[in-house]
Amino acid sequence: MPRPVALDGCEFDMTQVVLTDLTKKYLGATAPAVDRLNLECESGRLHALLGPSGCGKTTTMKMIAGLLKPNSGDIAFDGASVLHTPAERRGAVMVFQNYLLFPYMSVGENVGFGLKMRGVDKQTIRRRVAEMLELVRLPGIEARRPKQLSGGQQQRVALARALIVQPKVLLLDEPLSNLDAHLRDEMRELIRTIQQQMNITTIFVTHDQEEAVVLADRIALMFDGVLHQVDAPQRFYDGPVSARVARFFGGANFLPGQMHNGQFESRLGCFAVGQGAVLNGPALLTIRPEAIQLCAAESGSQQKNHLPGRIISRLYTGANTRVKVQVNEFTLTVIADPHAVDAARTGDMVTLYLAPERLWTLPIESP
Amino acid sequence: MERLRPYLMLSPALLIIMLFFLGGLGVGLMRSLNYMPIIGLTEPNLDAYVGILTDRTFLRSLGLTLYIAIASTAISMTLAVASGLLLRRSFRGKQVMTFLFQLNLPIPHIVGAIGILFLFTQGGFLARAAHAVHLIEQPADFPALVFDRYAIGIIAEYVWKEIPFIGVVVLAILQAVGDEYEALAQTLGANRWQRFRHVLLPLILPGVLSVSVIVLAFTLGAYEIPFMLGRSFPQALPVLAVRSYTDPDLNQRPQAMAMAIVITVFSTLLILAYMELSRRIVRKE
Amino acid sequence: MTNQTRLTHLLRWLALSALLFWLLLPLIPLLIWSFAFRWPFPLLLPESWSLRAWQIAFSARSGMLAALWNSLVIAVAVTLVSMLVSIPAGRAMGMHRFRGKRVVEFLLLAPTIVPPLAVVLGIHVLFIRYGLADTRLGVMLVHLSPIMPYAVLVMAGVFANYNPEYEEQARSLGAGPLRTFWYVTLPAIFPGMMVAGLFAFLISWSQYITTLLIGGGFIKTLPILLFAVAGANDTALTAAISIIFVIPALLLLLLTARYLTGEDAAAGGFGRV
Repeated sequence: MPRPVALDGCEFDMTQVVLTDLTKKYLGATAPAVDRLNLECESGRLHALLGPSGCGKTTTMKMIAGLLKPNSGDIAFDGASVLHTPAERRGAVMVFQNYLLFPYMSVGENVGFGLKMRGVDKQTIRRRVAEMLELVRLPGIEARRPKQLSGGQQQRVALARALIVQPKVLLLDEPLSNLDAHLRDEMRELIRTIQQQMNITTIFVTHDQEEAVVLADRIALMFDGVLHQVDAPQRFYDGPVSARVARFFGGANFLPGQMHNGQFESRLGCFAVGQGAVLNGPALLTIRPEAIQLCAAESGSQQKNHLPGRIISRLYTGANTRVKVQVNEFTLTVIADPHAVDAARTGDMVTLYLAPERLWTLPIESP
Repeated sequence: MERLRPYLMLSPALLIIMLFFLGGLGVGLMRSLNYMPIIGLTEPNLDAYVGILTDRTFLRSLGLTLYIAIASTAISMTLAVASGLLLRRSFRGKQVMTFLFQLNLPIPHIVGAIGILFLFTQGGFLARAAHAVHLIEQPADFPALVFDRYAIGIIAEYVWKEIPFIGVVVLAILQAVGDEYEALAQTLGANRWQRFRHVLLPLILPGVLSVSVIVLAFTLGAYEIPFMLGRSFPQALPVLAVRSYTDPDLNQRPQAMAMAIVITVFSTLLILAYMELSRRIVRKE
Repeated sequence: MTNQTRLTHLLRWLALSALLFWLLLPLIPLLIWSFAFRWPFPLLLPESWSLRAWQIAFSARSGMLAALWNSLVIAVAVTLVSMLVSIPAGRAMGMHRFRGKRVVEFLLLAPTIVPPLAVVLGIHVLFIRYGLADTRLGVMLVHLSPIMPYAVLVMAGVFANYNPEYEEQARSLGAGPLRTFWYVTLPAIFPGMMVAGLFAFLISWSQYITTLLIGGGFIKTLPILLFAVAGANDTALTAAISIIFVIPALLLLLLTARYLTGEDAAAGGFGRV
């Protein structure tokens, strides 16, 4: 891939970030906030650090930025450890969730801050500030005060302020969380465009799986300071490594049983299963709610991967309808097209079809 | 009716201000102009002002008062910011130190002045300590730190009392500001000094300046500290004003009132100038 | 810990110790002197110790107990009035928008800029005329105006962060205005009231020149007594009475410390003590 040139005089070296056995334990805490984390962030890609609040993702990001010192482990940019490089010379720039535009400076002064710290002359700063504001599609607002900007504009100014120093790594803290729904799409698109245009290694943290999925090339999912799965977004739906991961990505239905030669045996019968993390022995079958097809009762519940059930509740949510279906002692949640289940009533008998290629087995979790 | 409610709720407080603040100021102003119809003075004049403004004693007192106020405020503010920064990070013993730091907040100035007196006189605690390490032979060798030319004792008392006062406000501001701005500036390449100069200082300055206005006003108008620790000539303006007011010669009263008005005018002017200056500094940041 | 951070810690600790030493230093001779009997130059500690000063202080002839009582009565009365006045005023400033608010704000804040001395001379003239000079009531009234800005500011801050919907909720559940105030409003504003009360008490407690001029020497509070004693050359007694003067203020601060958040813009009250 040829090295892309983003703007005049604004070329980025791609930087690969490698975290090795990274551990951080806060003073007085019983468990480490980040526990032996190993992660490789390919250069020039968008990576998400995803997890519920308190999972250690922000701690990890602050360690990459150099704002926190790890207790052990290493952080390397392009193969060279940066552990002993202070934050101000590390070249990993953070954009905070609440933007933190300096309230006593104009927008122009905010954007130019990093260059001023480096002693760049005023002329150059002025020119580069203008370029950066253009890049984030807010040209000509140098003289405004942060207070006069909307939340979305403030975030774009914060982004421009980070990009102007040509960071090796761009760190974004919950980049979409504070934005209204209609601004999210715009911002997502802007971040993706700039990131691709500049080919800048970007890591962002978020607690929102949707935000991670729409924005990231790769997602690293953390729980309780431990990395659980690093994969392309789609894999978290199609191939989660554990029930916890699957639940985090939208609550699947789980069915305990046994895997045998590509067959899953359970109290609801035998299913053909296309793939899974467990190919033999005790397993948990995950059935995503949107992977279940609702059919009329008479459409052959005796066939393979078909199950008879009774509708016990239905909830219309606008874009789809959530239907709960009782199958023996199990309740399965199905997300269906509202039109497809228009006629179905609570109490009706239905047949569920579980497509083998949409089924996935997981190891049984120790409680 | 509903529209009148806030005024109704404010009326007791405003009544107090009108009667016991504006009333006093107004009567003082009238008296200073020799205008007091109740006692038959119906022709206002500026005699009292002319009298004091041509009096060297008064002018020297005014100069001394301004010097004390500005020096005390500037020193207290600087040291308070420094101590706020020192107390800000977590370290062992922080709680105890913060407690001790705030201990003299409720201690009245009079007690502080007496403490400074015991400490600074030529037979005082510091002189004894100096003797113990063979710096001086006898009390007279110890430099005059109270009743002195440079009002060191007075300024020392103000600084002693105002450091914790401004410091507590600085600590609160620092806590409200948090350290994320500095962290952000650091990732953008700002070093330690740059983070202080370009980030922390402009963030805390407005609050620090507005609290030091209170200190400035207090040091301009306080009576008991310069009375206790100051020289008999020149005296701080409030001391001079009270002396003139309580003089058996009742003709001095208008002049005393005029001095009180001059203190008020200077206090107001100084604070306006100060606020304008600080606004400029903050904007420049 | 690296050498550099260890050095930073050491320097911070040294600087803080020097600062605290300076802040506590003026109080040390006071403590020692109050128990000293003979303490000639150049001794660092008294030659002989005694409780003489304390005995005199608590005897009737020193007038200390009477002055303490006077100070307490005045400060408590002034505090109660200030709190009663500042609750509605603070509510109006913190929660209502009305015409002339800026003027009112300016009026309320004016006493922070104008020294009490400049006001008290004129008030004295007024009070002589209306028979309030040389009375305890007169002294109490003159203490009120320097307190007003801080008490109202504290309460305005409290009410600015106060959600009146709790009151509406209580009313809709059947509480009358009085019970709503007692069960809903009061608990919510209680911490702020304690802070306003603390400032009111401390400001009144430390007043000297206003008490002297309006009380004309007839109303002997602790500061008046302390000044008289300090001028009379009994160092030990001066020290003892200073300590007696400080203790109620310190106790009150300790009792109310948990309500002080420091972020009150009105921590300014300490600047008047």
